[in-house]
Amino acid sequence: MTRTMESLGLIREFLQDRLGVAPDLVVSDAQLDTLGVDSLMMLELMFEFEDRFGITLSKDLNTPKTVGEMVALMDQLRSEQS
Amino acid sequence: MSQRRVAITGLGLISPYGGDLPDFFAQLLAGESAIHFLRTEDIPRPLTIPFVSCPNFDVDGILGRPLASTMDRFAQLGTAAAFAAWADAGLTRGQPAESRENWGVAWGTALGGTLAYEKGYRELWQKGRERVSPLSVILGMNNAANAHISIQLGLGGVSMSHTVACASSAIAIGEAFRRVRSGEAPVMLTGGSDAPQAYGVARAWEALRVMATGDETTSPQACRPFSADRNGLVLGEGGAALVLEDWDHAVARGATIHAEMVGYGTSCDHSHLVRPEAAGQERALKAALADGGLCIEDIDYVNAHGTATAEGDPVEVAALKLVFGEQASRLAVSATKSMHGHQLGAAGAIEAIVTIMALREQALPPTAHLQEIEPACCGVDHVTSARRDVPVRAALSNSFAFGGSNAVLAFRAVAR
Repeated sequence: MTRTMESLGLIREFLQDRLGVAPDLVVSDAQLDTLGVDSLMMLELMFEFEDRFGITLSKDLNTPKTVGEMVALMDQLRSEQS
Repeated sequence: MSQRRVAITGLGLISPYGGDLPDFFAQLLAGESAIHFLRTEDIPRPLTIPFVSCPNFDVDGILGRPLASTMDRFAQLGTAAAFAAWADAGLTRGQPAESRENWGVAWGTALGGTLAYEKGYRELWQKGRERVSPLSVILGMNNAANAHISIQLGLGGVSMSHTVACASSAIAIGEAFRRVRSGEAPVMLTGGSDAPQAYGVARAWEALRVMATGDETTSPQACRPFSADRNGLVLGEGGAALVLEDWDHAVARGATIHAEMVGYGTSCDHSHLVRPEAAGQERALKAALADGGLCIEDIDYVNAHGTATAEGDPVEVAALKLVFGEQASRLAVSATKSMHGHQLGAAGAIEAIVTIMALREQALPPTAHLQEIEPACCGVDHVTSARRDVPVRAALSNSFAFGGSNAVLAFRAVAR
């Protein structure tokens, strides 16, 4: 599985588990807030991301707005910290 | 400002029997116990206690997964109970026709989000992790339930939580009552919730040596208030809510009025943290009667605090005898914790609802499993058989907490 697919898989899994969002709605241009990800859920998603991939996010990251931006951020950070 | 009459227009709870409120009360009238034997999967030593759960509580179905994800179990139980009471009152959750900027919430919880905190401790100390979920604070905070309720119902007035051990929700109801009666708020949503099945919490209660014991067979009868062979209380999870409303406001919108709340009395024993005093309870009882303009002859039923502890039950009966004197022997008393257990911060609200249902249905639930009354608990008319159909004009609900805080709520029946 590619890194991008792993990141997308994590987001889909998280949104289904926490918010009941069907995986097929979690596509690249979907807005995270439309899917129900508010500031608290974003913190929780970041926490899950750090946990799963063993990386640390800095506090001054730009908050992604779409699923695609979130995936790109995850990929970039994993690449930098691997 | 003149005092307003206070109508009870909404009742809601998460029933340990799995059904709705009429079913809950019918089960109590029939003397059916909701207590079961709980064996957890905790390692190395599971909890093995009589307990009361809400097994059919459909969290996602009632609250929706996104909202439920931001709540500890106590807030889930509380918010769901509030939704039920709100619906029972015929109030909408959508955009209201009138402003609700001065409608408020007063909520009781003894423990708050203990399960969330305990999960965090397990992560830190059992699994050796360095951090916990970012949601831990908002899941754990004691005011989580009332905050969620205010947000979900769109209530812009006061939103407060009361933590007074076993009297938490009785005091929340009393404080809500005062705000409606004074005219400060036309509507208050009130009640309480708790989820004491956290491992550390249950072990702490065990250490106090006040918990009843039981196994798969004996657990349903484990809680026997006022009984000569009582052996302690049974913890349970739960949530219960009431809508208190300015009488004229309720009448104007054509609401069904279940009963009238007329009095609230509170006191502190100011003597000992866990040893109750009849004199303190007597003051709370008299204060509730005076506050409600009631005399002892008006009271046909008392829903007792009655936890089935060695210390508590005789003191409660002694306090009732001090207040009711020669009237005590005809005073119908029952302790419904014998069936629904002790939900700590939710107990006062659950028992207030039981008391209101007794007024509404003109029928009294029993103290279950009461075969031989402890001599020190004699002197009142214990309701021991299933369902007693009698006229019930006015009734009291007692809640007496560790710390010596006492609260008594007074209700009157309304013509139906």
